[in-house]
Amino acid sequence: MSSVVVPETRQRSTATVPFRLLWLLSRPGTSSRAVSVLPVVAFGVVTALMLGVLGGARSFWSWDDELSGIYRVLSGIAVALLVVPLLSVGGSAARLSARRRDDRLSTLRLLGATPAVVSTMTVVESTLLALAGALLGVIGYLAMMPALGLIQFRGEPLGIGSLWLGVPAIAAVVVAVVVLAAVSAALGLRKVVVSPLGVRTRQAAPKTHWVRIVVGLAVIGAVSLSMGMLSAAPGMAVVTGILLGGSAAALAVLNVVGPFVISVTARRQVRKASTPQRLMAARSVLESPKAAWRQVSGVAMTSFVAVFGGTGVAIADAAGSGASRGSSEYFLMGDIRTGVLITVLASFLMVAASAGINQAAAVLDRTDLYVNLDRLGMPESVMNAARIRSVMSPLLLVGIGSALCAAVVVFPLTGIAILVAPLSVLVIGASLAAGIVLVWLALMVTTPVLRRVLAGASAPSSSAAQ
Amino acid sequence: MKPNILDTHLLYKNYGPSVALDGVSLGIEAGDAVAIMGASGSGKTTLLHCLAGIIRPDGGHVDFATAQGPLRVSSLSESRRSQLRRESFGFVFQQGLLIPELTAIENVAIALMLTGAPRPAAEQSAAAWLAAMGLQGLEARRIGELSGGQAQRVAIARAQVTGASVIFADEPTGALDSATSNEVMDVLLDSTVRSSKTLVLVTHDQSVADQCRRIIQLRDGRIVSDSDTATADANRPDQASLTGRTQ
Repeated sequence: MSSVVVPETRQRSTATVPFRLLWLLSRPGTSSRAVSVLPVVAFGVVTALMLGVLGGARSFWSWDDELSGIYRVLSGIAVALLVVPLLSVGGSAARLSARRRDDRLSTLRLLGATPAVVSTMTVVESTLLALAGALLGVIGYLAMMPALGLIQFRGEPLGIGSLWLGVPAIAAVVVAVVVLAAVSAALGLRKVVVSPLGVRTRQAAPKTHWVRIVVGLAVIGAVSLSMGMLSAAPGMAVVTGILLGGSAAALAVLNVVGPFVISVTARRQVRKASTPQRLMAARSVLESPKAAWRQVSGVAMTSFVAVFGGTGVAIADAAGSGASRGSSEYFLMGDIRTGVLITVLASFLMVAASAGINQAAAVLDRTDLYVNLDRLGMPESVMNAARIRSVMSPLLLVGIGSALCAAVVVFPLTGIAILVAPLSVLVIGASLAAGIVLVWLALMVTTPVLRRVLAGASAPSSSAAQ
Repeated sequence: MKPNILDTHLLYKNYGPSVALDGVSLGIEAGDAVAIMGASGSGKTTLLHCLAGIIRPDGGHVDFATAQGPLRVSSLSESRRSQLRRESFGFVFQQGLLIPELTAIENVAIALMLTGAPRPAAEQSAAAWLAAMGLQGLEARRIGELSGGQAQRVAIARAQVTGASVIFADEPTGALDSATSNEVMDVLLDSTVRSSKTLVLVTHDQSVADQCRRIIQLRDGRIVSDSDTATADANRPDQASLTGRTQ
């Protein structure tokens, strides 16, 4: 009988363990391509949009007449509005990295890797993917510049030159996206337990409570009351204060009430669901109303601001400022409307990127379930309809709900705007509708992922269990 | 002797260079309980998938007996095979693979809803099946709130609720302890064979296979033993039992 020679074990430095393991695990595999491509694309879209929006905002900062202050403030608001969906995409891309490494990470834990090693690996990986995405995004920004330069402000195209942020600013955005990814990955990992027996999402999601709706209604009532007193306000500063305070309060209410409304609606949809796809979609939303809200909350804010700002612009526009044709004042209202439209579309683009990446990840995460539902005879169309509905249903609720919420808050003004400037109101409505279609298209783009998963079930590589 | 509900003729299936099925022919009687055994890679799951119309064989064919005559499963389009699985076959997998966000009753009812049944009627039948599985009172529980054995019984109810004439089970007790495994097998056999339905079960567990009337052993994609043929061989010793041709 031949004896087995046991190889000597060597003691090595542990500091570089995460990096060495990462290098080992980053080699291409069957599913790793999709795992890497999805976050890279998401970070690329985010970076390109961020650079485009900042470029546009920067062009306003080069003006120095009496209205430039207003342009600066408004561009600042637009950028601030886009930060919410940006954080959402960053967070979901980072969580995707952690969740998609399920088997490998839990195997490493089983082999004795510490939680710190696994966490470091995931954070480093997300950061590297974000860097790749951000660099792609810079290319995207450069490619978009000629088209963006055609957008007219103050009656003339912005021009490529004014959109150019300069190398230091671009580098700063890339660094910011990469840091965001690292922070999101670290925070996202708190929601994932990597144990030697597998990776699972923590179940400790707190339930939504009816108190949220009471608080929300109270704040809306107070805001509506103060809006009613606008005409009695002593001066322009107070009017501005009430308007800004009112919109900030309403946005806060949206965040408090949003998950609760989504949860109540989904519960009702579960009760009334008459088809498998409706039942599965509603149950999927009800599984985590907060996650559903996070995905579409960016749209809530944008829809709100679009109606809120759009109404004001429409009325001011219709009333006519008396400014002479070609003056700065003459263009201001039209420019604000253009800004609102750009912000709405950019926000929807980010939500579309986030929804697309989340859905593709969800399909990959639930491969076994989808394959077996297919074996049970569930048509692909039913599975597809269920997962698309699970995003579109909260999106429609939140998008339309926020727009209505804004319309109620500035109720008298909305009515006047519809009467005096129906075209402006229509344009805002159409841009919201276009945004919703955009998200739907992003979800449809993920259909081939499901198809490939189902087709792969009968392919040789996945049929190990003969 | 009852007529065959499933017949296969010279089934071949390759995955790249590896041979999964190498000329398998067999007939399965209506109402029988058949266990397919074999080591990992022997082709037992591939055989089950071919029988159930989940995959198409590279060669040979599978016939399913219907009231209108034999239906060549292996020649049907993807959507027709999908419809057949939905309406005539039931499946129980190792992990149950139920939809985690749905409740127990919804998981069962959804199988009926897929055939076009209205939800109230589907849930009524689902509740009756869950009660028959000993799960009364657990209808509103989500899958994560059930034990492994309970979840597997929900999966059995889901397989049965459409009135399927053949139940395919792939390692149905593979993830359970021996006591729960016995309970689940009891329920599975009770609800199929003792109700004149056919059970085709893939397992590597001899004690599970022993509860079926017929045991077929596979090795390298070929049938190497068949308890039915072995009985016949005892009467006809001139028949080769290792040819893989049992008909």
